[in-house]
Amino acid sequence: MANSLRLYLTCIRNTLEAAMCLQNFPCQEVERHNKPEVELKTSPELLLNPVTICRNEAEKCLIETSINSLRISLKVKQSDELENILTKKFLRFLSMRAEAFQVLRRKPVQGYDISFLITNYHCEDMQKQKLIDFIVQFMEDIDKEISELKLSVNTRGRLVATEFLKQFI
Amino acid sequence: MACFEHASPALKEILLRLYRGERAIDTDHHLHEFGSVEYYIQSLVSDPDHTYLSISTPILSQAFLISTRLSRYTIEKVKAISAEVVEIVEPPKEGYQLTLQLNFARMPRGKESIKTITDIAAVQGVILSSQLEEMLMNVNSQDVAQGMYKPIKLVYHPREPFYIIKQPQKITAVFPMRFKEKTDVIIATTFFQELMDVANSKACAKAPHCIWSPIPPPELRGEAIEDLSTNGGFVSFDITSRHIEGKRLDKTVWNLLNFYAFVKNHVKSTRGFIQRRMRTCLKSLVEVLQKTGFQDDQQIKEVKGYKRMKKLVNFTKFMILSYRSDFTSKLKRIRSRLKIHGFNRFRRKWLTFPNFSSKTKYRKLEKDISLQHN
Repeated sequence: MANSLRLYLTCIRNTLEAAMCLQNFPCQEVERHNKPEVELKTSPELLLNPVTICRNEAEKCLIETSINSLRISLKVKQSDELENILTKKFLRFLSMRAEAFQVLRRKPVQGYDISFLITNYHCEDMQKQKLIDFIVQFMEDIDKEISELKLSVNTRGRLVATEFLKQFI
Repeated sequence: MACFEHASPALKEILLRLYRGERAIDTDHHLHEFGSVEYYIQSLVSDPDHTYLSISTPILSQAFLISTRLSRYTIEKVKAISAEVVEIVEPPKEGYQLTLQLNFARMPRGKESIKTITDIAAVQGVILSSQLEEMLMNVNSQDVAQGMYKPIKLVYHPREPFYIIKQPQKITAVFPMRFKEKTDVIIATTFFQELMDVANSKACAKAPHCIWSPIPPPELRGEAIEDLSTNGGFVSFDITSRHIEGKRLDKTVWNLLNFYAFVKNHVKSTRGFIQRRMRTCLKSLVEVLQKTGFQDDQQIKEVKGYKRMKKLVNFTKFMILSYRSDFTSKLKRIRSRLKIHGFNRFRRKWLTFPNFSSKTKYRKLEKDISLQHN
């Protein structure tokens, strides 16, 4: 793993560990309702300051915290058109299957490629440390997968081109 | 050309059925392929030895071929498929460019028959290839001498035209590439860049020189604007004399005619490949998330508790059988009754419930009373 990536991921991990102290908190506006405050933003006293962690201009992470929920939004690097199309395709594919992930948001926050929403109920069902591990691993895997996909598409193209040109010889 | 095989699979299937004589009935088949090719197959019971195959195919270049009739070169090529079996009917059936009379009685036996039928089914490919071959060989030599390299527009599919430009040392084939989706454009562009790299490498030094450019090449200056507006750029192949020598001519022509299909097939398969990779990645990510639950640790503890199972697995067959026989004998002993002298009488007297009369039922006492009177 590149040094800059390790630092970036460590920073995200530490921020998540600090931010993920969620508790059950009923809605202050509607009686007998329990809603993620980070989404509704009805009471400013229940929200913490959002944190943005940037690796570079193209790669950043936004962590928004509230009393009962946490929202993590990621922007994945897209250095060229092929990476751009692969990232969009891949993250759309994952968002369409958000029910498999429980914590994945169907629509990313504006300006980001993918978003997660973790509520206090998720923290009750899952282990906090493992949840953080999952987010960090997700980021690592996405980067790795897109790089590999790009490489594979180029390799396939090269093989097909060679086969086509061989027919002329 | 949307099919890499020379022979049309549907036409081959029909001809094979007719040859094998599966049904002795009059048959009329109309086939349409790739939107512009039409076949008409006619077989009569009254004339079982002959089958008629009529073909209508678009003329490759209207500017080059003046009449809609097929050229002599093409007719010769068609006759060469099988001189014994295939006979050209003159004039062809109305609405078609060529009608062939197939004499199945003269068909060679065994595997040769299938090969001949496959060759007949490839007749459309033969017509198309021969037209291009003819163009490459007989293109206006006067224009070349005068330095006028006018591009010839070839249309075998309305949406996929390409250009042939004959120059003194080479023939350039230019393909304007169009795609429906942006994803396709990017995948195809990556492929064209690789194609250019490979064509310029030492390994493919003998292959035609290939250039991809997002803007039209200067040779196409003056062509209609709608033909030059593309989203995938222009791919050019420089065909030299060595690529059209002898048997290579057929291959070169077929590769040029199939280039669009080749690119589209690559784009389609790459999209499928990306989809498969994404599915695999999704599975692995979901597995990571599933491990975050609290239940996992409990399950592991429970599994560790079954130590006896491991012992049982290590038992030999003899040990298992002896254990089973001991167990059954123990069971028998438990189930067998203990015999104590006089116990049955004791049980009847003290351990049985007395019979109580039910409140809902009654007993007839008349008989008993009469007995008492007696």
